[in-house]
Amino acid sequence: MTDKEQSFDITKTYLRFLEEDSDLTMPIAAIESLVTMLRVKQPSTSSELIKLVKSNIDTLKTSIPNAISLSAGCDLFMRFVLRNTNLYSDWESCKKNLVENGELFVQRAKASRERSAEFGVHSFSRVVYHLLLKARTEKLIRFRVIVTESRPTEKGYHMAKLLREADIPVEVIVDNAVGYVIHKVDKILVGAEGVAESGGIINHIGSYQIGCLAKTNNKPFYVVTESHKFVRLFPLAPNDLPDDIAKIIEKSNSQEQDRDLLKTHLIDFTPHEYITALITDLGVLTPSAVSEELIKVWYD
Amino acid sequence: MSSTTISPEILSLIDPVVSGLKRHQIVGDKVIALAICHLLMKVISAARWTNPYDLINIIRKVGTILHTAYPRKIITGNIVRRVLAIIRDEIETENSNNDNTPMMSSMFSLLSTNSNTSHKVQHNQSKKQSSDFRSVVIEGIRDLIDEIANVNEGIETMSVDLIHDNEILLTPTPTSETVLQFLIKARAKRKFTVLVTESFPNDINTAHNFVKKLADHKIETILIPDTTVFAVMSRVGKVIIGSSAVFANGGCISNSGVAHVVECAKEHKTPVFALAGLFKLSPLYPFNGDDLIEVGNSGKVLNYDDFKFVENVELVTNPLDNYIPPEHIDIYITNVGGFAPSFIYRIVLDNYKTEDNKLE
Repeated sequence: MTDKEQSFDITKTYLRFLEEDSDLTMPIAAIESLVTMLRVKQPSTSSELIKLVKSNIDTLKTSIPNAISLSAGCDLFMRFVLRNTNLYSDWESCKKNLVENGELFVQRAKASRERSAEFGVHSFSRVVYHLLLKARTEKLIRFRVIVTESRPTEKGYHMAKLLREADIPVEVIVDNAVGYVIHKVDKILVGAEGVAESGGIINHIGSYQIGCLAKTNNKPFYVVTESHKFVRLFPLAPNDLPDDIAKIIEKSNSQEQDRDLLKTHLIDFTPHEYITALITDLGVLTPSAVSEELIKVWYD
Repeated sequence: MSSTTISPEILSLIDPVVSGLKRHQIVGDKVIALAICHLLMKVISAARWTNPYDLINIIRKVGTILHTAYPRKIITGNIVRRVLAIIRDEIETENSNNDNTPMMSSMFSLLSTNSNTSHKVQHNQSKKQSSDFRSVVIEGIRDLIDEIANVNEGIETMSVDLIHDNEILLTPTPTSETVLQFLIKARAKRKFTVLVTESFPNDINTAHNFVKKLADHKIETILIPDTTVFAVMSRVGKVIIGSSAVFANGGCISNSGVAHVVECAKEHKTPVFALAGLFKLSPLYPFNGDDLIEVGNSGKVLNYDDFKFVENVELVTNPLDNYIPPEHIDIYITNVGGFAPSFIYRIVLDNYKTEDNKLE
C-alpha cells in the first residue's frame, strides 16, 4: 500500500472536479471521481472492485447534501460495473475496459449537453443556459428570456447575468410574479435535478407551481435535461422524496436561515402531467418515455 | 457525411417525383407514400456503394430533397426514415453475425466503447455481400409497400368492436378514405347514423360525395353545417377523425375545423377516435403547431370578386390543416391495433431509428 492509495478521498476528489470545471454536473463529476478512484486503488479481484465502488458511492451520497442527481450518476456507474464484470472472462481486460469506458462516458456526457435541441426560465440550469446560448449564437434566433429569481437560492440572478453576457435580452422577476407574466410567455424551460420514473421532475423549488400555471394557461412546459439524470424513484408527492435527501435539505436550511418562522425547502417534485416534453440528448421524449429508458438500463 | 454526392442517374430518377410533389400532382397520403417507396426502391437498385453507410447517406440526401419539394408533407419523411430503419436493421443483423458485442441501449450507450464510427470504418462489403444486402433491403421495402397498400384492412377489422348498434357518429374529415372504408365495413354488422360536417370552404364537394357514398351503402347519413357541431355533440356517441400525420407526442395533423370539433367533444366528454395508418406516424416532435400547417387559397373564404369588402378586411387566411394536441384524442386506431396517444412514442421507437430523426 502506497501513500497515494491510502490518502485517496472520494468526496474531496468529487468536490475538486466540481471546482475545477464549473460546467461539470454532479452526476458526471461523481462518475469521473469513481473512475479516478478505480485508477488509484487498482482493485485486483472483481468482488473487491464491487465492494470498493459500493463503499465509495455510499460515502459520496452521505457526505454531499442534495444528492439526487449525484445518486443518479452513481447508480448508473454501479449498474455498469455489475453488468460488465461478468461479461469479460479475463479480469485484467475488464478492469482496463471499465476505466476506459468510464472516461469515454465523461467525454460523451459532456458532449451530450451540446446536442440537446428553442421562454420563461426558472432558476439556473446549465443545460437550459447552453440551449439558449446555442439558439442565440448558432441559429441566430431572436428571443427574450424572463428568469425567476428562485428563492431561497436566488440562482436566477446567476442565470440572468450569464444570459446578459451572451447578449440575450433578459428580465428577472420575483417568483410571485410568474402568474402575472405568463400570458406573454411562449414557452417555459426548466432544468432538472433528477427525472423520476413517472416522467415527473425533481427540481429547484418553485418548478411545480410554474408547471401548474403553465397548464392552466396552455403554455408548453419543457424540461431540458441530460439522460443520465434519470433516477429510479417514483415519488407520489413532493414530500415523498427519499428520507436522506429530505433530511439534508432541512439541515442546510437551518444553516442559512436564522429567522426561525420561515421554513423553506430547496427542491420540489413536478408530476408528469404538467410536463409537455423532456428535451434530452436522446431526443425529445414524452414523460411516459422516461420509464422506457430506465427499463432499458435496469431490467434487460 | 456531406462527402457523398448523388450521381446523375439517381437525380434523374427522383426528378419526376420531386416535380410531381411540387406541383401537387401526386395527391393523397397513400399515393404519395407508395410513390416514395417505389422511388426509393429504384434508387437502391441504381445506387453503388461499398459500405452500407454510404447507402444510408445517399438515402438521407434523397430524403432531404424530397422533403424540400413539399416541406409540409410529413409522410415523405416518414417513408424515407422507415426505409433507413430497414437498412440499419439489416446492418445490425449482419454485424451481430460477425461479432458478439452486447447490444447497448440508448441511455447506456454513453458508457459503451463501440460507437457507430468504428463500425463504419471496419466494414466494407464485398460485391457478393452488397448484392445480397441490396435484395434484402428491397424485400423490406416490398413489405412496407404491402403494409401501406393494405392499411385500410387492418384498421377496418376493429370497426365492429368499436361501433355499437343505433349509435350516432360524427366525422369531420370527409376527405379520409380510411374513415369511409371503416364506416362501410362496420355497416356489414351494425346499423348506425353518421353525421358529416360540411367542411366549408375547402372540402364541400368531397363532403357531398362522401355522404353519397355512405348513403349508397345504406348508412343513415346526415350532412350538417360546421357551426352546428357543438349543438349536436350532446347526442353524438363517438367522433371519428382521419389524420394526415401523427407525431411522437401523440398529437396529429387533420383537416381544418377538426380542432374545434375535438374541443367540443372534450366539453361533452365524447370519445374521439383518430384513424391513422402506421406509415403516418412520424418520429418528429411538433414544437410549434403553426409551422406544420398548410395555408390554401384565401379566395375561397372571401371571394376576390367582392372587392369592396376585401378592401376593408385586414387579413383573410384559409388554413388547410389543424394541429390536434394529444389530450384531445382518446385513442388512435392503426393497422396494428388501438393505442393511447401517450403510447405513440413506443410505436415510433419500434419503427424508426433515432439516428435518422434529422435527415440533413
